[in-house]
Amino acid sequence: MDAMNHFARLGLAPSCDIDAGALENNYLALQKRHHPDGTANGTVSERRLAMEISSAVNEAYRVLRDPVRRVEYLCRLGGVDLDSSDPNGGAPTMSQSFLIEMIDRRDALEQTRARGHAALDELRAKVEREQDDALAFALVSLRSGSIAAAAVALVERRYLQRLVGEIDGEV
Amino acid sequence: MAYSERVIDHYENPRNVGSLDKDDEEVGTGIVGAPACGDVMKLQIRVEDGVITDARFKTYGCGSAIASSSLVTEWVKGMRVEQALEINNSQIAQELSLPPVKIHCSVLAEDAIKAAIRDWQAKQQAQVS
Repeated sequence: MDAMNHFARLGLAPSCDIDAGALENNYLALQKRHHPDGTANGTVSERRLAMEISSAVNEAYRVLRDPVRRVEYLCRLGGVDLDSSDPNGGAPTMSQSFLIEMIDRRDALEQTRARGHAALDELRAKVEREQDDALAFALVSLRSGSIAAAAVALVERRYLQRLVGEIDGEV
Repeated sequence: MAYSERVIDHYENPRNVGSLDKDDEEVGTGIVGAPACGDVMKLQIRVEDGVITDARFKTYGCGSAIASSSLVTEWVKGMRVEQALEINNSQIAQELSLPPVKIHCSVLAEDAIKAAIRDWQAKQQAQVS
């Protein structure tokens, strides 16, 4: 992994509560300083370095400006990679009762769909609120130092996000 | 990403979609999920005299996850429980020509059949004791 984490890359302390203004300002300043155009007359290695830094800055900004990605990234810095299914250090396995609930709610989707747009919109709004609640719970957990609890909440959020996808008819 | 013909076949004509009665003593149910993408899979088997006589699945996920579970239900019908336990994800991935990024779908299907068998085994032991 990159020696410099996304927070350090953008001159911020790792935290769930970043200063949005500082993120924006630091990003713009760094982007300007390392813009590949600035080294157009430089050597090959200078140009390459500028390009590498510039793309690392963009990636860090992309992750940190997104509240969900930011919290997921904090989990990763804490040793839990939600994109991995490795039993050690990967996303936590959810309880059977949660998975059963996820199946049942997807099963029930057809009936909701048959009841029309209003019912579907209502369900969608409810699941989105649940997603927000899960994210809020993850934040509370992280602030109190419980990465494991935050990771479970974030995985729950991913399943709910997927449920919204099913509501919208995505495959 | 292009799906293989086998995946498309199972996706468009999934085999054995549905449910069995999970409270039936002869039925084993496995429910698994892929935390990274939010796919969920339910796979059920009916076992008579140690032989799997029926298998059903419900998968909410991508085409590869649906195809993997569909294929497994097709395979296990008529198998002895011990044989079904030996199914592994690389056989599924190979049969469906899954690309590396979709290997986790075949792992999910392997986990699901194993979980279903374990559930059935637990019921049999509970009956004996």
